[in-house]
Parts: sequence; C-alpha cells; structure tokens
Amino acid sequence: MAERRIEREDVDAFAAGAAILGAGGGGDVRVGAHLLRHLLAERSLRLVPAADLPPDGIVVHTGAVGSPDVISERLLSPVDLARAAAAVAEQVMGPIRAAAAFEIGGLNALVGAIGAIELGLPFVDGDLMGRAFPKLTQNTLALNGVAPVPLAVASPAGDVVVVPLMGPRAVEPILAGITAGMGGAASVAGYPIAAGDLDRMGVRGSVSACIELGRRFLAARSAALPVLIGDLGARLHGVGRVEEIVPRSSTAPGTLTVIDGGDGAVVRVDHQEEFLATTVDGVPGASTPDVVAVLDNRSRRPLQVEEVRVGQAVVVCSLPALHTWPASARHLVGPSAFGLVEMEER
Amino acid sequence: MDRVLRLGIDVGGTNTDAVLLSGDTVVATAKEASTADVTSGIARAVGAVVAARPGLAREVAAVMIGTTHFLNALVDGSHLAPTAVIRLGLPAAAAVPPLSGWPDRLRASVGGHVFMCHGGHEYDGRLISPFDAAEFRAAVDAAHHAGARSYAISSVFSPVAPDLELAAAQLLAEELPDAPVSLSHEIGTLGLLERENATALNAALRELAEVVTDGLVGAVRAAGVAAPIFLSSNDGALMGVEYARRFPVTTLASGPANSMRGAAVLAGRTSCTVIDVGGTTVDVGVLEQGYPREAPDDVSVALVPTNVRMPDVISLSFGGGSVVGGSADRPTLGPRSVGLRLRQDALVFGGDVLTATDIAVAAGRSDLGERGLTRGVPRSLVDAVLAQVRRSLGDAVDRMRLSVDPVTAVVVGGGGAIVADDLPDVAEVIRPEHHEVANAVGAAVARVSGEVDRVVTATGAGARDAVDAAAQEAVDRAIAAGARPSTVQVVDTVRLPLNYLPGEAYRVRVKAVGELALQDPLPEVRRG
Repeated sequence: MAERRIEREDVDAFAAGAAILGAGGGGDVRVGAHLLRHLLAERSLRLVPAADLPPDGIVVHTGAVGSPDVISERLLSPVDLARAAAAVAEQVMGPIRAAAAFEIGGLNALVGAIGAIELGLPFVDGDLMGRAFPKLTQNTLALNGVAPVPLAVASPAGDVVVVPLMGPRAVEPILAGITAGMGGAASVAGYPIAAGDLDRMGVRGSVSACIELGRRFLAARSAALPVLIGDLGARLHGVGRVEEIVPRSSTAPGTLTVIDGGDGAVVRVDHQEEFLATTVDGVPGASTPDVVAVLDNRSRRPLQVEEVRVGQAVVVCSLPALHTWPASARHLVGPSAFGLVEMEER
Repeated sequence: MDRVLRLGIDVGGTNTDAVLLSGDTVVATAKEASTADVTSGIARAVGAVVAARPGLAREVAAVMIGTTHFLNALVDGSHLAPTAVIRLGLPAAAAVPPLSGWPDRLRASVGGHVFMCHGGHEYDGRLISPFDAAEFRAAVDAAHHAGARSYAISSVFSPVAPDLELAAAQLLAEELPDAPVSLSHEIGTLGLLERENATALNAALRELAEVVTDGLVGAVRAAGVAAPIFLSSNDGALMGVEYARRFPVTTLASGPANSMRGAAVLAGRTSCTVIDVGGTTVDVGVLEQGYPREAPDDVSVALVPTNVRMPDVISLSFGGGSVVGGSADRPTLGPRSVGLRLRQDALVFGGDVLTATDIAVAAGRSDLGERGLTRGVPRSLVDAVLAQVRRSLGDAVDRMRLSVDPVTAVVVGGGGAIVADDLPDVAEVIRPEHHEVANAVGAAVARVSGEVDRVVTATGAGARDAVDAAAQEAVDRAIAAGARPSTVQVVDTVRLPLNYLPGEAYRVRVKAVGELALQDPLPEVRRG
C-alpha cells in the first residue's frame, strides 16, 4: 500500500473536518491551519497507523492548552511543542518514534500534526477522543486507566514545567494553573505510550477520517442542505432561527433555542464549551459523545458556541464521533459528564 | 441657510454617478462613464449635476465620495507601495511570519519585506519581552535599503496595550520622518494575523491614497464646488480626506454600504433587505436601524484574510447582463456577462446574445429596447430562468434575514427588472425612483461615526466605568470627526468576555453616530 502523507493541499479539508468534530468548541482551527500550511510549504508529513510502528516504540501526544484569544494573538510555536515533547522523552528515557494528536476535533487536531512536523516524526493516524472534548482526560486511554504523565508544558518565554505524576482529579486544576502562569495558553506534551498499546486503546484512522469528512464538507458546502447532510453522514435536527440563548454558568450548561423554519418545531441545544445535546419538541435527538454541530445557514460554517447570535439562521445536525464509545464510558464522555440528565435511550 | 445641498459621488469601475440632494430629496442626478484617470469622469459627472442652475455649485454644503479605487488596486496589484511589515513579539508569535498565506502576486506587488523583533504583550498587559530599539532600527534600516517606502507595524496584543507600536512609530519617525506608518491597533482587533494583514494592506495603499484623494479633491474643486469633502467608509459612515489618506483600507467596502444606505433613503426605510442588481452580480444585504449589518466572520480582501469591519453581503454571480444558455429543463445564467456591451449585444438592442435583460423584457417586466426581438425565445425558457432567479434571490434573502417576520426588499441598480415582485417570504418589493444612482445617494446621506474597540481587564464597578469611558470616547470621536454634538448617539455596545482566561477580561466595542454638522465650521477630521 502506498504510504499516506499529509500535504499542503490537504490543510483546508483537515481544518474543515476538525472544525466540525470540534462540536462548537476545541478552539479556532484557523491559526493551526495557517501554521500547518506554512510548515507544509516545504515538507510533507507521513501518516502512519499505530499498528505499523514497532509495538514497543514510544508515541507522544502534543497539543495546545488555554485561551483561543491568546492563541490568536501570540500564535503557537512548533518549537514549544517540540520542547515539551523532548521533556517527556527525557522522563521516559527513550527515543520517541512517532507523534500524535490528543483529539481530532478543533485546533488540537492540527496542532498534533504541527508537533509531528517539528519533531521530524511520523504522525499517527489516530487520536484519543474521536472528536474534541474540553478535558485532557476525556479520552480512551483514561478509560483504560492510563494517566497523561509524564506531562510537560512549555511557554513561548522558554519556561518548561514537567509533571512526573498526578492523579486524575488533579490534572485539570494543575494544567490550568500552569497555563495561567504562562500567559493564558501553552504547548503541552503527554500520554507517552507504546505504539502497540496505543493501537489497542486509541482511536484508529481518525486523521484520515477527519480529512475525508472535511473534503466531503467542502465539496457539498454550497449544495442543497439535504445533500450536505447526506454527504456528511449526519442527522438533521432542525433548520431555523435562533430564538433564545441562555449562556452557560459556572455550574450549569446553557441552551440555545432554535425554531425550525419548516414545521415550527422547537429545537433545543444544550451547550457548555461544546454543543452537548439536542431535543426536538422535547424528544431527545442526539447527545455527547455524538458530535452536535451548529452551522451558520448563510455561510454553512461550523459555529463555535460563543459565535451563535439571536436571530441567526442555523442548521442543527449531529454525526457520530470517530470512535464508538462503550456504554461503560458514559460517566466520562456521556451527558452526565457535562451536568446533563441522562435521557432515555433512543 | 443658503448652503443646504449635499453632493454625493460614487466612482465605480464602470460608471461615475453624482447626485445633488436637498434633505432626502433628489434635486439632480448624472451618470457618466468612469475614466482611467478617475478625475475627468468625476469632473464630468459633477459638472453635469451643477449645470442644472447657475450658482448651484456654491450652494453645496458638503461633498461625499464613495470609491472602489483602492479595492481595484489591490485586486490588480497595481500602484501599491513597497511595504515593510515589522512585527513585535519575539520570542513568541514567530511561527507564521508576516504576509504568510498572501497570494504570491500580491505579496510580490508589496515587496514582501518582513521583519520580526522583540516586544509584544501578554493579554494582561505584561511584556512578552522589552522593545529593543537597536534591533528595530536595524530592521527599519534593512527595509529602507531594500526599497520599502511604507511601513506596517504590529505588536502582539496591541489592542490591549498599544504602547510598543507607538514607541516604534516614534523611533521610525526619527529615522525616516516622511515615511508613512500604519499601526495595527488603529486598524484591526484581536487576531494578530488578520489585524497585521489589514495593516499591511493599508500601508501598501498609502501612496495611492495620496494621489487618489488629491485627484478627487482637484476634480470637485475644478467643477466649482468649494465645500468640504468626505469619503465614505466600509460601514457607510463618513471620514475626512485626511483620515482616508491615513486609513485607505477603511474605504474598501464602501460600495455595498452606500448602495444599502441609498436604497433605504430612496425607499424611506431604516430596516430592510437591499437587492442591488448590477451587470454581472447581485449583492444582497441587510440594513438595520439605518446601517448595514456587519459580516459575522473575518473577511478576505483580495484573498487576504483581515479583521476590518465589512458589511454582510451575499454576492450572487448573475446580473442584468448575464448570458442565458441551456434549455427550459436546465437553464443556465451567468457567470459570463456581456457587461458594458449590453446595449450592443443583447437581443432587445439588436445584438445576438440572449441575456437576463432580454428575459425580463420578454416577460413584460421591462420595456428596454425592442420586445419584438425576443420573439424567438421560448416562453418555457423565459419562465425557467425567472424561476431560477426567484429561487436564488429568495434563498439569499432568507439566509440574510434575522427574524421570522416577512421582510421588505428594496431593489436598486440597473438590472432590477429580473427581480420578481413575489419573492418567497418577502412582504413587499419596493423599486424606488432614482434607484440607478442609489450608491451616490448613499454616499450623500452618510453620517459620521466614532468607534472604540478595546480589551478591558477590570471587575465590578471598574468594568462598568471602563465601558462608560469607552462610550464617552466613541461620542467624542464622532464629534471630532464632524458630527453635530446634539445628534450623536451610542448605537451599539458589545461586551464580550475573552474565553478561558483567568480573571476577568472583556472586549468592549462601542459605536456612536451623528449627523454631519453642515453649517458649522468643520474641524480637520480624525476618527479612530
């Protein structure tokens, strides 16, 4: 089989796929797309399934953490990603054979590829979430009891913080504290793991699938809505105007209410940092870990949660994550993980 | 009051239109072909409207000009100044250098002189690294020797902390006193790459802006009009000539804004959908409380992503001159257009190309030319094309509107006959008198605005005070720009939290608008 590569021409599709799989969160893919396009002007990136790597070869995951607003100003540095990864390599005392993305939704899908290019390593065709989730530990490795450590965080100012050990409950507050000290955003590397274990526990083929999803989206973006929805393999929950937005609070999710322009149905979308679940006239439609996407019906661009405005014409749809999460993962990635009541099975 | 007339001029790629307005009443109109030198077309159009009565030129109280000149210059890559783009932010923000992602041709047109220096701020105002005067001087020196004549300076988080850009500008002024300098915090908002792109485009247009504004002023004066001159900006508000010279990037999208404002005035509406039908394209936009709605996303200018404010417009690739093909089952319309040659090539004018205008005439919607010449066009094709136009317009109007209520659509522009009176979910289609010079009317009725857009890192009462201070500053800026103080109102206040940041940081945007003070002595205009 011909070796797969990511070329400059693939960036638009990669970014579009990642934006949809971001489910309204996961940061703005544009900065990552700029950077990746810039890096791929001179080189290309080899994409390998974890199964094709030596089973005991170490794979390290790289990504960005923090505020999208800070990232849009200070940009991201591939050098920081590489420094974080090197700090992890030093901890595990072995060479890294490949680099991978924490998540295949939002900015971090692209950042994973950027890290791999800077490290000069192949990029694993897979990720740990099959979409974007807000917490670093909402992933398939965590479900298997694997901790993200040793983990390293690097700032543009040259600071590197290494965390050799931390319990699951400490991951988020520790990461938030380090990020704040680094000006609101930083580069992170973690979850070093043997390729054989990653192949067994990670999400397979999700980078290819993301690029393919983005390619179908770009091809059908201007087509009639049923065609677009069909080509994405998505389910349509409603097309209409945003009637009301209840913002999330520090303790509870918020909601969008969309009145369907066709049949007048009331489409509700629960959200936090991502869109979490939909109901149509009170009947459950889709919920996390499925990907709920809200598209601007004017440009068909996937919207971030905070971009939605009252009166805006939107399309509410959902598609499966690029990973089939088992029922046993509901506490980690299901509605209850986001403070929503579990609905009846559909 | 002897000087009460407003003279509006729209310099388009094809035509230069001029109108004289008394209040909202059209006194005279003129349409002349645009000329390569711009000024002789303007002189002719202005001459034509003031020729209606002796002494009319002296009654003009203000002149407002809308021009697509700068946009055309960017699209052609012509007459752009060799520009240096200097970014302050090292060691951060180095991964994507300035001008990355620009089309090669445009990048070559501006020279591609890019530099990165130490500096920049964190979101909370801390320095990323101190400004290094020697390093910056060396960059300026290198740029100067490489042939740069205009300078764009960006600094990380300058919308929060503009001081390093100001310090750099000061130093540059010492080194090269005559070089034009564009600072990113005066041009765009958060989002370094897009703000820097807009700043670089602005810098590249600075030399042309001098020439063009001199030409505009000269042409108006040559027609005997001595009144103060303003240019219309992307949001439809006015700016003085001096401001336009410094910020030409803010005139780039004045065309759609002017046609929307003009349509509203001619139809007597403040909130409506505007359908502007040109020869090759149709622009659909929305006016809310008298002003064009802003595009929600970053907007690309000549394929360069920027974050300057632009009106929200859907452009459809057909117009009155579009070529019709195919059959009744599968009709095609555009994107090819006979353009300027409509009056030679269209069937109704004795030509041999079937155009959208012929379809409108065949259907009895327009009495241009000779209807008899469309006899050979199958009725089924006419119906199919009209249905297709109705469908695309209906879809565009639906995507643009912001409420479930049926809208009022105002149709302007030369090709308006192809627009049906029964668009889906449109309560009323209005085709106002003088619709063919709506752009010039829009320029003439523009108001003056003042804007503030900044990041505030305060809590509680401090945050409220900061919002109040921003509002007062927006009002002051509108007055400084020539607005009559008693008419200035804050029309828009947006307070957005910055995401995922510790502490409380808000982005505050305030816009104030007022009527132009026609009778008062006008101060030299400055906005922003």
